[in-house]
Amino acid sequence: MAICELKGATKTYGSGATEVHAILGIDLTIDAGEFTAFVGPSGSGKTTLLNQIGCLDSPSAGSVHIRGKATAGLSDVKLAGLRAEEIGFIFQSFNLIPVLTAAENVELAMSLAGQDGGHDAALALLAEVGLEGLGGRRPNQLSGGQQQRVAIARALVKKPSIVIADEPTANLDSDSGRAVLDLMRALNEKHGTTFLFSTHDPMVVDYARRVVTLRDGAIVSDERRGAAS
Amino acid sequence: MTLGRLALRNMLRSKRRTLLSTAAIVVGVMYLILGQAFVGGIEEGIVQAAEDGMTGHITVRVDDYPTTGLSHPVDDLLTLTPAAKALLDDDARVAAWVERTVFVATLSTGDDSLRIRAIGAGARDAEVFQRTTWTVEGRVPETAEQGALLGAGIGRMLGIGVGDRVILRTRTHAGAINALDVAVAGLVQTGNMALDGTTAWLPDALARDLVRAERPTHVGVRLKRRGQAPAFAEALRAAVGDGADVITVQEETAELLRMQQIRRNALNILVGVLLAMSALAIANTILMAAHERVREVGTLRAMGMTRRRIVALFVTEGAIMGGLAGLVGLGVGGLGAWYFSENPIDLGALMQGVDYGNIQFSAYLYTAFDPGAMVLPFVIAASTAVLASIYPALLASRLEIADAVRAE
Repeated sequence: MAICELKGATKTYGSGATEVHAILGIDLTIDAGEFTAFVGPSGSGKTTLLNQIGCLDSPSAGSVHIRGKATAGLSDVKLAGLRAEEIGFIFQSFNLIPVLTAAENVELAMSLAGQDGGHDAALALLAEVGLEGLGGRRPNQLSGGQQQRVAIARALVKKPSIVIADEPTANLDSDSGRAVLDLMRALNEKHGTTFLFSTHDPMVVDYARRVVTLRDGAIVSDERRGAAS
Repeated sequence: MTLGRLALRNMLRSKRRTLLSTAAIVVGVMYLILGQAFVGGIEEGIVQAAEDGMTGHITVRVDDYPTTGLSHPVDDLLTLTPAAKALLDDDARVAAWVERTVFVATLSTGDDSLRIRAIGAGARDAEVFQRTTWTVEGRVPETAEQGALLGAGIGRMLGIGVGDRVILRTRTHAGAINALDVAVAGLVQTGNMALDGTTAWLPDALARDLVRAERPTHVGVRLKRRGQAPAFAEALRAAVGDGADVITVQEETAELLRMQQIRRNALNILVGVLLAMSALAIANTILMAAHERVREVGTLRAMGMTRRRIVALFVTEGAIMGGLAGLVGLGVGGLGAWYFSENPIDLGALMQGVDYGNIQFSAYLYTAFDPGAMVLPFVIAASTAVLASIYPALLASRLEIADAVRAE
């Protein structure tokens, strides 16, 4: 079942002589439960494409549908609601709120998604990502790998349809990166959550079941793999 | 996770900056509360000094009586009509009334002399012109033989002590010169600087003997409440007829209170400047916070926080800052206002030798402590902080999410 569909999605910056197409006429369908990596050189349009899917930005032309709903023309409140309920984000720099503890970071995401459960649910989810007993720590008291696990818990707490991970292993050593990828794939298999990665990391590509390659704002290859590596 | 909790944590991350930004609000609120309390206290001091000094709640005096300088002519004396007397005797609003003979005399010790105001006070004088702030050395004379009670300032200036004898020389009602050798029965510190340095109190019989007057120059009236004075004065005016003026304490002090209003306005302008400064400081703090937290704001937006809630987050931070600073200012200012309402500043020592003429002014600077009056400064402080944080909050809410989440 298609969870996300892009038709002729184009993002243009500037105008006239300075006009630049970050992505141009992209047609793409993402099915539920995918574990997909978007690769390509810097400036190829990976991040712009994921921004469109994550409703962080809107296309200049074409359309983006999430669960069959077009995102174009939605109000700020409706887009925020869509992000809060359907889309989780994992960032290269973890982007945890530094004044909140690990558990409170997770609770905040729950609260924005309008979910009940509170502190206990947050602690349970942290335990699921291997952070049992660390819920009371602030981000600066955690390692990079631990922070990214908190970010994963935060992204998953609302049971989103899609998790968008922007270079999730870029700031991690290879052991921590592998552990994080193992965790994400386990969660993908357990909950059926769709994971979309923007990456330069060959290890992430190895884990992906689908690899979409972009160049100059267009998809140049779309490789589906039968089994996970 | 409530917005308030997040806002509080955010505010505490730069404690020193928050403290510096809120200091201006603390000072503004404190200054406003203390300033208003002092101005209120001075106003009450002015009215009280007039009430207990020369005016009472109402004073009746001859028409066209001079109101500036040390001038108390006895050419015209006061005649109370039977209707006026009946009103004063029978009206339930009247607590007490008394006849006074006020005149100017030269007080001489032999070596030195001084021009003073003399008040011939009837038996009920203390009921009309209350003496709660009086400190008397010696005694208050009740008979002509006991002599005069001098303001302590006169005693200081001329080196006169209790039991000394002085010459009081004055012009009589008929225009002749009269002088009497009188004993100094006591020296009084009234708490009214204009009286202490210029005034002597004599038993009415002694005063009338000096000026050879059959009738008084003034009638002082004490009502049960000060607020009754304007209405009662209207009735009394109708009763006294032509030839006499009826003046209320409100009318007598109106000019001084108008000057106080100027002072109050000046205070408000200063507080306005302080609050404007504090608004800028808070706006700057929130703006810096918004710049420092671009990535956090982007993350919150990516997580589903609406623009309106981002605005609410930053405005809540401003409100907490303003609220806490307002509370501190209110606490310190309120404590100061309460303290000085119980422990007045003695201006007597500070302002010795100043000529006040007829201006009645309390020697004790009290504050008017009114807990209800502290609500407004607090509300103003909190509102200022909220208003100051709206612009930076709006800027933060309009960040491009895609750029903000990747900001360094």
